[in-house]
Amino acid sequence: MAEVEETLKRIQAHKGVIGTIVVNAEGIPIRTTLDNSTTVQYAGLLHQLTMKARSTVRDIDPQNDLTFLRIRSKKHEIMVAPDKEYLLIVIQNPCE
Amino acid sequence: SGTQPMLWTIQNLNLQKEAPVDYAGLLSFLQGVEDVVIKELNKNWRSHAFDGYEVNWVDQNETVFCLHSLSCPEAQDQKLQVTSISWNATGSVVACSYGRLDDGDWSTEKSYVCTWNLDRRGLNPKRPDLVVDVPSSVMCLAFHPSQPSLIVGGLYSGEVLIWDTSRIEDPLIWRTGMTDDTHTDPVYQVDWLQDSKHSHHFQILSVSTDGKILVWRTQRDGQLTLVEGFALVAQQIPWSMKLKKRTRGETAVGVTSLSFSCFDPSVFIIGVEGGYSLKCSTAVETAAVPRTGSSVPLKAPAEFAFSPHGGPVYCVSCSPFHRNLFLSGGTDGHVHLHSMLQAQPLISLQLSKKYLFSVRWSPVRPLVFAAATGEGEVQLFDFGKSSQKPAVSVKQASAQTAVYCIEFNFKQPQLLAAGDASGMLKIWQLSSDFIQQGPREMNHLEQLANEVTD
Repeated sequence: MAEVEETLKRIQAHKGVIGTIVVNAEGIPIRTTLDNSTTVQYAGLLHQLTMKARSTVRDIDPQNDLTFLRIRSKKHEIMVAPDKEYLLIVIQNPCE
Repeated sequence: SGTQPMLWTIQNLNLQKEAPVDYAGLLSFLQGVEDVVIKELNKNWRSHAFDGYEVNWVDQNETVFCLHSLSCPEAQDQKLQVTSISWNATGSVVACSYGRLDDGDWSTEKSYVCTWNLDRRGLNPKRPDLVVDVPSSVMCLAFHPSQPSLIVGGLYSGEVLIWDTSRIEDPLIWRTGMTDDTHTDPVYQVDWLQDSKHSHHFQILSVSTDGKILVWRTQRDGQLTLVEGFALVAQQIPWSMKLKKRTRGETAVGVTSLSFSCFDPSVFIIGVEGGYSLKCSTAVETAAVPRTGSSVPLKAPAEFAFSPHGGPVYCVSCSPFHRNLFLSGGTDGHVHLHSMLQAQPLISLQLSKKYLFSVRWSPVRPLVFAAATGEGEVQLFDFGKSSQKPAVSVKQASAQTAVYCIEFNFKQPQLLAAGDASGMLKIWQLSSDFIQQGPREMNHLEQLANEVTD
């Protein structure tokens, strides 16, 4: 349990990181550094988007699969590291 | 990122049923992704890949819209017009003065100075936050550049008054009164001048059609006293040989507008009723003739005369981005883009078939200026788009209702305030292309400025 927390703390401590969320296979957030409503919003929306991104990659080439998803917006960048059981979402405000 | 509260437990998430967590599996997942995520975070932090990259999702051509329409009931009852606008030092408060610009007669009608705080929740567009009664038409206003509640106004009577808007009971704190030094004509412009010796002290500058530009200081007893001043007299205008005019003796030259250079604080441009603009300096030594009856000797500031408009010049504006460029506008409906290095304008544009009452350079876009027309329009001109017609023409009022004054908000440059003859003060929100400087804009401005032929 402590090792999970340590790993997440290391990621959260990186420059510009605004928030870190871990989501399970059902799209339910199980760890977060943000407030409730923001967490629930990010978890639900990004879970759906990640599934869509994955099916896009596999439809184009069934031998391929999604490894990482990045969304760049005016204000920050959202990174999603996906897996069979979990998603790791990290929101960063990069140095402009 | 160390300021975020760390909520590591499931209980904080208000879930309807607790999701069971397989810690071994979770740890294994995190250990697998940690390295790649950290690598991406670091790369992102150092990357310049997206520098200057912008995406337009919205069609940006004409999304200029009216955010607020502000009015003062007392001023509306008297059918007064908006004569001047000023934004305060923080950019949250807009003030306007009411009076008349179309009356030729002297007027003892009382008028008002009103303020609205646009960032306040309870903003009522029909009820100003503050209404100051003034015994004569107020022709011009200027908020202090750093103290958000101090505002100076110039009156039709020639007086200059300073109010502190944080004092609800009695906001008037300084006045010139009617002395031998006071202007004998309406004051058309007032400004705050930073004292060159004591940077926290400010003096007040007033400009009038009596031909004088006066500098005042504040005294403890509430009196504004004359420190120095300048007088414009026809025979002292430095006409170049090409533009030599028949001088009519010691006639006062009515000054309607003034703009200081943003690069050299001793240089200023003035617009005059005679229809031309003049480059002046505060560092002159020549005395003005005749010796007027003021307590301090006045100087003749004019150094260079620019070629005239077809009517009185009402507004001048020095570019915040180029030391030689300024605009002038007047009753001939034309705007002239001038370089201080030559008498002929670089560009002459007809923006209106009626008068132009105000021109202002944009504080953020070097190639953009706004103009207030007698046909009820605010025109936004972009030299980068067209040197013939405005980029955007905003209809503020009917074609019979002149727009008299416009001011950009320097702290929130997407806001432009405009006041008109129907007594309405409108706050326009500009589209994003008017807010951010384009990549080669300064080069283009330099090119324009270098088209000097003299």
